[in-house]
Amino acid sequence: MTPRLTAAVLLGAFILVPALSSHALPKYAQKAPSVKPGQDPSASAKDEIPFPQVPRITGEEVERIAKEKGNVVLVDTDDPEAYAAEHIKGAVNIAFDPTVEAKEQDQLLSALPGDRLIVFYCNCSHEEDSAPMVLEMWELGYDHEKVKALKGGLTRWEQLGYPLAGTDVDKNQEKGN
Amino acid sequence: MSRWAKQIQMQCNIPAIGVASSNIVHYATGYVAKYQTGMPIRYVSVPFPFTGQPRAVDVGYVSGKDMLTGQPLMGAVVGALTGPLTAEEKISGAAPEEAIEPRLLPPDSEENLRMLFEDREWTDFNSIILPTERRVTEMLKGTSHKPDEVIKTINITGGARQLTVEKVAISAVMAGASPEHLPVILALATQAPFGNSTSSMANMVVISGPIRNKLKFNCGTNAMGPYNRSNAVVGRAFALMSKTAGDLRNNVNAWETLGNTMQYNSMCYGENEEALPDGWDPLHVETGFKPTDNVLSVGTGWSSIASVGASQSIYPTHYLMRDYMSSFCASGSAATIVIDPTVAGLLKDVHGFKTKAQLSEWFSQNVTKMNASYWGNGVIQSTAVPFALAGLEPYASWRKLPDDALIKPFTNPKAIHVVVAGGKVQTMWFVTDFGIRRGVKIDDWA
Repeated sequence: MTPRLTAAVLLGAFILVPALSSHALPKYAQKAPSVKPGQDPSASAKDEIPFPQVPRITGEEVERIAKEKGNVVLVDTDDPEAYAAEHIKGAVNIAFDPTVEAKEQDQLLSALPGDRLIVFYCNCSHEEDSAPMVLEMWELGYDHEKVKALKGGLTRWEQLGYPLAGTDVDKNQEKGN
Repeated sequence: MSRWAKQIQMQCNIPAIGVASSNIVHYATGYVAKYQTGMPIRYVSVPFPFTGQPRAVDVGYVSGKDMLTGQPLMGAVVGALTGPLTAEEKISGAAPEEAIEPRLLPPDSEENLRMLFEDREWTDFNSIILPTERRVTEMLKGTSHKPDEVIKTINITGGARQLTVEKVAISAVMAGASPEHLPVILALATQAPFGNSTSSMANMVVISGPIRNKLKFNCGTNAMGPYNRSNAVVGRAFALMSKTAGDLRNNVNAWETLGNTMQYNSMCYGENEEALPDGWDPLHVETGFKPTDNVLSVGTGWSSIASVGASQSIYPTHYLMRDYMSSFCASGSAATIVIDPTVAGLLKDVHGFKTKAQLSEWFSQNVTKMNASYWGNGVIQSTAVPFALAGLEPYASWRKLPDDALIKPFTNPKAIHVVVAGGKVQTMWFVTDFGIRRGVKIDDWA
């Protein structure tokens, strides 16, 4: 007769948690708490800036480097539909998706050139979606000083009046004409 | 595709369906039906493969029949977009929660428990050490970290799973490891699960620093062969934790058409740091760590070519390496070259490569590939083509070149790594297309 193991067998007990919950995000990809009612938004942004280890670069600085050296790669982290509608002129699209393993984006991310400044941006207030992509680039071995997040993202770029492209931009230009 | 179709439906408020090849459509429909709320995405299906086929064949698919319903394909498209909801499609609300596996299984015979583990695919189908509570408790003595500490959350199809220290200890027991291996395996867990694509993706695990000698990792003769316990159990633990925590099950969500035998132990080996030529830094030092740090680095790729026979002066070794590398897809400019110390000595003393970085730079400048061959790769199609269309260089210019033009696809020398391993028995080397991620400090998991 086969002897029975006296101890119970420990299993993985791999507990499913809902996708899109904050638990589903890698530690580095979790967003900062939102601004509470009555709280000064600017103070919140200062105190609770997400991913503070990720260096930011201003739109003005990006525009200056692009004009002087022309060696900036801009990466839009919105979904493809939003990118198609509006993006910074010349930007490529690699969508940030917190529900898939960050490594699944590695083939795309590692295709970005290693000899130029790479600036990720999102259509969000505090670089919540672009900063995690910067961290993933570091994991892939890219130089820290060559990969940054655009401060203020697409909104700030628009405010500065810098060039945009996309179907929405084309429609607005047609209306203007 | 399900995700994008759903997004179009919700954002644009128009019906959307997916048209997918027959080999994956069941995976897509199962995923949607099980995990999405509201109406699932409908699919029509064409034969596989459709890429690489003459245009006439693909046109034939469009004028042919839907593989799911047998109806003419375009009629099936219209039907899927306009047909009334079925009772199943009318179900709304959150998907029912998955049954949670108990932490402890009831006692049973060893034979029955082994069969259970095989039935559930909680194994690599080599014999495992059953992870009893006592064995796992003993394993956990190898770390100061608490058993319930979450190392990372792994996104799996339709959800996420928390990979805890205890779960990694379970994999370590199953792989046959000892408690002193646990910090290495916990560091490895930060990189889990291993790659899973329809191609034969595999991993490489390189151990660096003094821990190689402390735990007797094999860095010398047969470093990549089945001749050493530490190499074997650490590499195997990666497969076991990837399969269990990563929920990888054959033909359910693991779809590598040929698979890869390297996944059994992920090419786990140590760098032969003691045999490095003067001026050549170990892998972990090259990537920013101190020589005294104990570091684990994980590479991911598909292809590996081993040299055959001794190096000959008529055609220097690095020329042969260059020729072999030209057959790689060069995705992400990535390559990892593993060379015996004798080859490293030749490259430094005879051919003048004073550092690994100089050799990497030489490969970046000298590996060429025919333009059509570069763009003829499926990975490049899905990564570099969108960049080329968006005007990103060098891809945009390469797309305009004639098919027979030669390009230099390894544009980033920093993505070309050189690792020295082996026992000085023969002037051997491997070239691989593995991209190595930043290392993980093992001592953080002690």
